Amino acid sequence: MSMALAGFLQLAVVAPPAGGLLLAIIAPVLAGLATLLLPRAAVTARVVLAGAGPALAFVLVLWHLGAHGVAGHTPPPESHHASITHVADTSGTDDLASQVIESSLSHASDAGRLAAPPQGTAVIEWVPDLDLNLAFLADGLGGFFALLVAGIGVLIVLYARGYFGGATEQARADLFRFYPTLGFFASAMLGVVLADYTLLTLVFWELTSISSFLLIGWNRYDKAALKLAKQAFFTTGLGGMFLLGGIGLLGYHTGHWRWSELLQHANDLDWSGGTLKAAFLLMFVGAASKSAQWPLHYWLPGAMAAPTPVSAYLHSATMVKAGVFLVGRMLPLFVLPGEGVGVDIWPGLITWIGAITMLYGGVTAVNQHDLKRIFAYTTVSQLGLLMAMYGLAGFDFDHAGHVVAAAIDLDITQIANHAFYKAPLFITAGAIGHYLSRSLPDLHGAFYKFPAICATMLLAGYALAAGPGTVSFQAKELFLYAIYHAANGRPWLWVILAMTIATAACNVAIFVRLLTTLLGLPGSMGKADHDSAHDDDHGHGEDGHDHHHAPEPGLGGALIWLPAVPLVALQYIGGLAPGVWDRLFGRFERFGYYFDHGVPSLLYAITHPGVPLYASGVAIVLGVVLGLSKLLRGQHIDPHDAIYPGVEAASVGLGRGLFAVLQNGSLRVYLTVVLIALMTCLSAAAWHDPGMIAPIGAEAARAFELPLGVIVGLLIVITALLLPVFSSRIVRVLMLGSCGFTVVAMYVVYQAPDLALTQLMVEIIGVLLFVLVLRLLPEPPQGERALPVGKLWRAGLGLVVGLAFGWITLVCAHAQPEALLGEWFSQYSYHGPAMIDAAGEKTGYERGGGGKNVVNVILVDFRGFDTLGEISVLGLAALGVWSMLPGRRRELCGEPPAQANASSSDPSTAEATLS
Amino acid sequence: MTSTLFKTAARLIVPLTLIFAAYIAMRGHNSPGGGFIGGLMASVGLILYRMAHGRAALLRLLPFHPRVLVALGLAIAYVTALVPLALGQPLLTSLVIDGLYIGLGQTIHFASAVFFDIGVLLVVVGVTVGMIQRLSEEVDSQHIKESGCPTTAASSTGGNPR
Repeated sequence: MSMALAGFLQLAVVAPPAGGLLLAIIAPVLAGLATLLLPRAAVTARVVLAGAGPALAFVLVLWHLGAHGVAGHTPPPESHHASITHVADTSGTDDLASQVIESSLSHASDAGRLAAPPQGTAVIEWVPDLDLNLAFLADGLGGFFALLVAGIGVLIVLYARGYFGGATEQARADLFRFYPTLGFFASAMLGVVLADYTLLTLVFWELTSISSFLLIGWNRYDKAALKLAKQAFFTTGLGGMFLLGGIGLLGYHTGHWRWSELLQHANDLDWSGGTLKAAFLLMFVGAASKSAQWPLHYWLPGAMAAPTPVSAYLHSATMVKAGVFLVGRMLPLFVLPGEGVGVDIWPGLITWIGAITMLYGGVTAVNQHDLKRIFAYTTVSQLGLLMAMYGLAGFDFDHAGHVVAAAIDLDITQIANHAFYKAPLFITAGAIGHYLSRSLPDLHGAFYKFPAICATMLLAGYALAAGPGTVSFQAKELFLYAIYHAANGRPWLWVILAMTIATAACNVAIFVRLLTTLLGLPGSMGKADHDSAHDDDHGHGEDGHDHHHAPEPGLGGALIWLPAVPLVALQYIGGLAPGVWDRLFGRFERFGYYFDHGVPSLLYAITHPGVPLYASGVAIVLGVVLGLSKLLRGQHIDPHDAIYPGVEAASVGLGRGLFAVLQNGSLRVYLTVVLIALMTCLSAAAWHDPGMIAPIGAEAARAFELPLGVIVGLLIVITALLLPVFSSRIVRVLMLGSCGFTVVAMYVVYQAPDLALTQLMVEIIGVLLFVLVLRLLPEPPQGERALPVGKLWRAGLGLVVGLAFGWITLVCAHAQPEALLGEWFSQYSYHGPAMIDAAGEKTGYERGGGGKNVVNVILVDFRGFDTLGEISVLGLAALGVWSMLPGRRRELCGEPPAQANASSSDPSTAEATLS
Repeated sequence: MTSTLFKTAARLIVPLTLIFAAYIAMRGHNSPGGGFIGGLMASVGLILYRMAHGRAALLRLLPFHPRVLVALGLAIAYVTALVPLALGQPLLTSLVIDGLYIGLGQTIHFASAVFFDIGVLLVVVGVTVGMIQRLSEEVDSQHIKESGCPTTAASSTGGNPR
């Protein structure tokens, strides 16, 4: 492994821009694998080493962004945002928040920050023929996602230490197995967000599906978890197939296989026809399956069978955002390139799918008891919101007389916002479930037992509710603004505004219930006198993690909630000091059509009342009421959970049915199918090419030139025709053999001694084998012994096939002589072509077969490779016989007969295998 | 099938068959013959011997499992195929020497493909003899089971059509 590492380090030096990012991508998996070398007891060293992988990735991506800038951020010279391109200048004095607002509207109508599409980095060739190479693109979107994945990855490595514990043997075994898998996922995810080649994105995309499968099915002995892992894998894997189709269509239609090139040439693409629209649709299905969009969202709540570190990392913060990421990647390609190009179905389709997902997830989330399920459905809901946000980007709108190109602002802020509150919610939910229970009704007054964990959870929950003071509030405002703007002249979008308000109210209600329950206030979900939480069923069925209820002392124990703190802190920094937030994340933002000066402050939001602010207010009031009411307090069972089991049962049933029809074990049926298919193909060929019928007459006439041949031929025909008349198998085999021996005579007549000899030997051995095998077969059922009249068609089919083969032989013999290989073979069998020197003298021959017997030279030289394969197959066939009829060699060798009788079951096995 | 005539004839015929098989295989490159036919011929000879004298006699003649022949033949064939690769030639390139001196004033025409042919021969002999041997053992044991008369069954080894 150290050699591999050295190789990649070398790569990083040779091709710095691509190599650095490549190293960042593989660092987590290498570090994860390296932890396998540590002894199991070395828990601290294991954590440090595993954490070093994502940490190194984080630093490398930062270094890359610092050295090369955020790709794609080269705004036009007159732009006011030149400052944000200087990523390296982290100590810069640019204060985005202070930038004047009036610059925004004057720029809003041009494509603003996308004026210069991003350039990909240098290429390391992988499979150039497939347009699949290693090149990476760290633009605002990709770079931000990479930092998110690597950064949260470090926190999750620490959290896993707290979650699994470190003292027991079981915990050590868990950590031993967990870190490599987690590293595998982190690398795959970094690959998805950084890949520049479209197919490379797909490769990593599938790797995230595989690693997610491994992590959901973490508990290998829990059948339910394995089923859910399969459900997630097949759902997202099927989406991956759609993505492959979309990428292929896009690539073949445009000739571009790199995102950077596609973005650069978006205006020059051939947008006429439906090809690009179809490509977009396919890719969107892929993105929607990965990002759990309705109606494919069911896998995400199911994926909560994974241990909580996995849920916090994959199924809230990173992997499920891969679909959102992909849509964000496609946005500048399909929607924003310019006038008259792009895909017109984008805004309607994505906005509606996203909005339905958002509302459905929100309403279902309220109606749950298990904390992980609650947060899983809010994740579904938030993913819907993110999708809808990109959908709205397809709308332009009028503002104060200017046409603004797209109703989208600061998408990175939205994405970051969700990750920064959802990961802490999962982390603390795992922690509280570890000590008490994950079921909300059991958590009455838990705050007083575990104040730190519950406080962190409540602070994150406040962000979930988009309370003022968190960046979540501003993010929701941005989304509401986008709807409000886009709805200008499109009244149906007011429906989406209403759906957003309803969703936001659900989120507020969840927070209210969390607050009242954890603090033990009136209106809580739990019982007032709830002291026996320990004795209840904690609902730990879902992740099957062995709970030990006493908190572990020291830092190791605190790691079960501490990693949530920095993320929650970022939420409040964003909410209370948007300037700092912009300094941190502004450089990644790609869209700022309305709020192009960065995230608006809380003060701005309050001092500019309008529909969005009112909508927020309504949502909060409704949410508090809903939270305190008795409504929606049950445990809703998602009807979509039946989709996958239904589809699986249907496909397995269909498979069984097809298998019963196609693989029914009757050799006659197989043979009939094969022969009929062959006849169909030949008929089609003859239909297509009448030249295959014309030569029959002339060739057949030639066949009658030699009287002896005609006589032998007639003999063959008569023997063959008599075959179906006899019913005994042995007689039939002997007839077949005599047919073959007559063919030997035919070869002699036509002076082919080799063939005659071979045919003779093959025929002897063939008849012997036939007789032996037939003796081992059971007697045929009485009905089949005589030839039933109803089955005469089999003889007819045999006749037709035989005639067809004769016909094809004639056609082949009629082919052009110069095209015949036979000429070439006999010419070069002994010598190669003559070598002629400069003077025109023949000096010798080039290498030939070195033999005068053309047949044998073909076998061992010209076609030697075929022969090599054939004898290998022969050997395998013999191995099959020897292994399926296990040896009775020793037993028959003078052993007492009792033993031979003892193994009486063997012949029946032989019958089964041979028949 | 166990007549004295047949047994005696088999004793005479089988060695001749084997020698002829070797001859056919060696001359194959220039005249009708070759490894495949040679192999088949040797197999037919050996099977004839088995039919005449029973499997114990064949086991004395070939005191190892036929799979040894198959493995050996495949090994020879693959080595012959792969050696040219090591020498920078395409797979299976045959080395042809016109007039290779073999001592006593004699020369032969030599092609390295002959080794490949020998490999083919061994595989063919191993496979056919092995398969037929195995299947007839199966038939024998079925016979033992059905007749319940082990002594006669063990000696009657040929195919006795029902």
